[in-house]
Amino acid sequence: MERLLLRNVDKENSHTIEVYIKGGGYQALKKALKEMSPEDIIEEVKESGLRGRGGAGFPTGLKWEFAAADVKEPKFFVCNADEGEPCTFKDRVIIEKDPHALIEGMLIGAYATGCRYGYIYLRGEYPIGRKILERAIAEAYEKGFLGENILGTEFSFDLYVHSGAGAYICGEETALIDSLEGRRGEPRIKPPFPVNAGYLWQPTVVNNVETLANIPLIIERGGKWYSQIGSPDCPGPKLYAVSGKVKRPGVYELPMGTPLREIIYEHAGGIVGDRKLKAVFPGGASSCVLTPEEIDVPMDFPSLAKAGTMLGSGAVMVLDETDCIVKAALRLIEFFRHESCGKCVPCREGTDWLVRIVRRIEEGQGTEDDLDVILSVSETMENSFCGLGMAAHNPVASTVKKFREEFLKHIKLGRCPFRSGQ
Amino acid sequence: MTLEEFREKVRELKNSGKYPVARSYILPALWIAEKNFPAITHEVMKVVAEELGVKPVEVEEVAEFYAMFHTKPKGKYVIRVCTNLSCMLCGGEGILAKFSDLLGISPGETTEDGLFTLEVSECMGLCDGAPAVTVNEERFLKVTSEKVPEILRKFGWKG
Repeated sequence: MERLLLRNVDKENSHTIEVYIKGGGYQALKKALKEMSPEDIIEEVKESGLRGRGGAGFPTGLKWEFAAADVKEPKFFVCNADEGEPCTFKDRVIIEKDPHALIEGMLIGAYATGCRYGYIYLRGEYPIGRKILERAIAEAYEKGFLGENILGTEFSFDLYVHSGAGAYICGEETALIDSLEGRRGEPRIKPPFPVNAGYLWQPTVVNNVETLANIPLIIERGGKWYSQIGSPDCPGPKLYAVSGKVKRPGVYELPMGTPLREIIYEHAGGIVGDRKLKAVFPGGASSCVLTPEEIDVPMDFPSLAKAGTMLGSGAVMVLDETDCIVKAALRLIEFFRHESCGKCVPCREGTDWLVRIVRRIEEGQGTEDDLDVILSVSETMENSFCGLGMAAHNPVASTVKKFREEFLKHIKLGRCPFRSGQ
Repeated sequence: MTLEEFREKVRELKNSGKYPVARSYILPALWIAEKNFPAITHEVMKVVAEELGVKPVEVEEVAEFYAMFHTKPKGKYVIRVCTNLSCMLCGGEGILAKFSDLLGISPGETTEDGLFTLEVSECMGLCDGAPAVTVNEERFLKVTSEKVPEILRKFGWKG
């Protein structure tokens, strides 16, 4: 497949505006501002079928339509660059290698929705990305793509980078907004949705980095062209971040819906040491695990939901036969316990309870009853305030269901059967 | 940086016009503090509060919430070793143990000479280079136990 989202990343100095413009960059912005109305742009994005790439998969065109329809001023356009889901690193590639694609996507989105100010909420763990983005923004100001009366039109837009400081919950859009307001990042109840009541309770569009990087392509080549790529109900190219026990970990751009088996065995080169595949978390740390028998699934939102898991951020984590599934589940739930903001009981207490039980099992002190408790606690966590708590139990509950024998083996042996091999 | 110099920086920040409300400058102000002081102390928080017109407790609750802000003194170099899943599968825990052994400190502690603070990090988004380590803003990818002393020496470790 022609590289679209990653078309620039291998070029020397791909992060500079000179290289971006030489490759046709900012032509989509010119087209959008000079030849299209905001309504035309929203229609084009709707026709493309683009669904948000941050994890939730909400139709981007529809979100923009809601924002455009809101009459409150000012409106804000926020890029969610807080990718903190363990094993997700796809946005980092765009941020560091093609920042102008992101900026151009934001500009087009801001014009379409009537936003005057924009923020890139960047996770604190990306200090290199921060420098690159700040330089790219300065370049865009110098060339007249940012600021007052952009390209001689009525459209004005100012853009800033806002650094997070190590809180996964800030990837949740309402927590991100709290953080942007200078508070602890805690999720807000929805509705109202940020698109109507976000930053300072003003209309605020929040889009993921990868989502925005698609926008210049859609404007350049048309929504219809874009909708032909990938799955019919979930079109476009997708960045899959593959890590763990594969020979070639990395970010792969493939059509949405590429089978998981193909991603692991063809693109990522198969399993390290040609060992047997044991398990895959197909969509980041909060996705439910898949067994080797289940990897012929197309990697898109509806297919993975049907398979009982989720695409999430498209982060594929691969475990081989020498890896302990209990330990993997333990590490993931430890992460969620650490990152729970503590606002609601099911998440705060549930993640802590699961850590204690799974650790006990991993250390050989568990009982068979513990497995039922895990599933019961997990069910209660479904009632958490936000998506973090609702999904945090997935890696634990799904591994208990699909790898029950391995949990039982720990209990029966009174130790981790993999301990000596690790 | 002195507290007065810091106060001046926060004033400059507030005058940048980046945000429509003063409160939004809290995180950027704390980042300046994080980079220029060993710790974000109550004195530092008080300056932020005074300049931004918020209560000191409102600054404190933000400083305490975010994992990358140090409210206790940190070393000149903060070593973050990722042990989340991809890094764990590729040996991240062994790398953490190696740093811990060589420095003679546990994760969360600072060496007596104030040079290094060792921390366990949650995912840093460097999973294609697992196991990953950062020292302040510098990255080290596919780290092996053998590379650990090399990394430390680069930052003045004399062991």
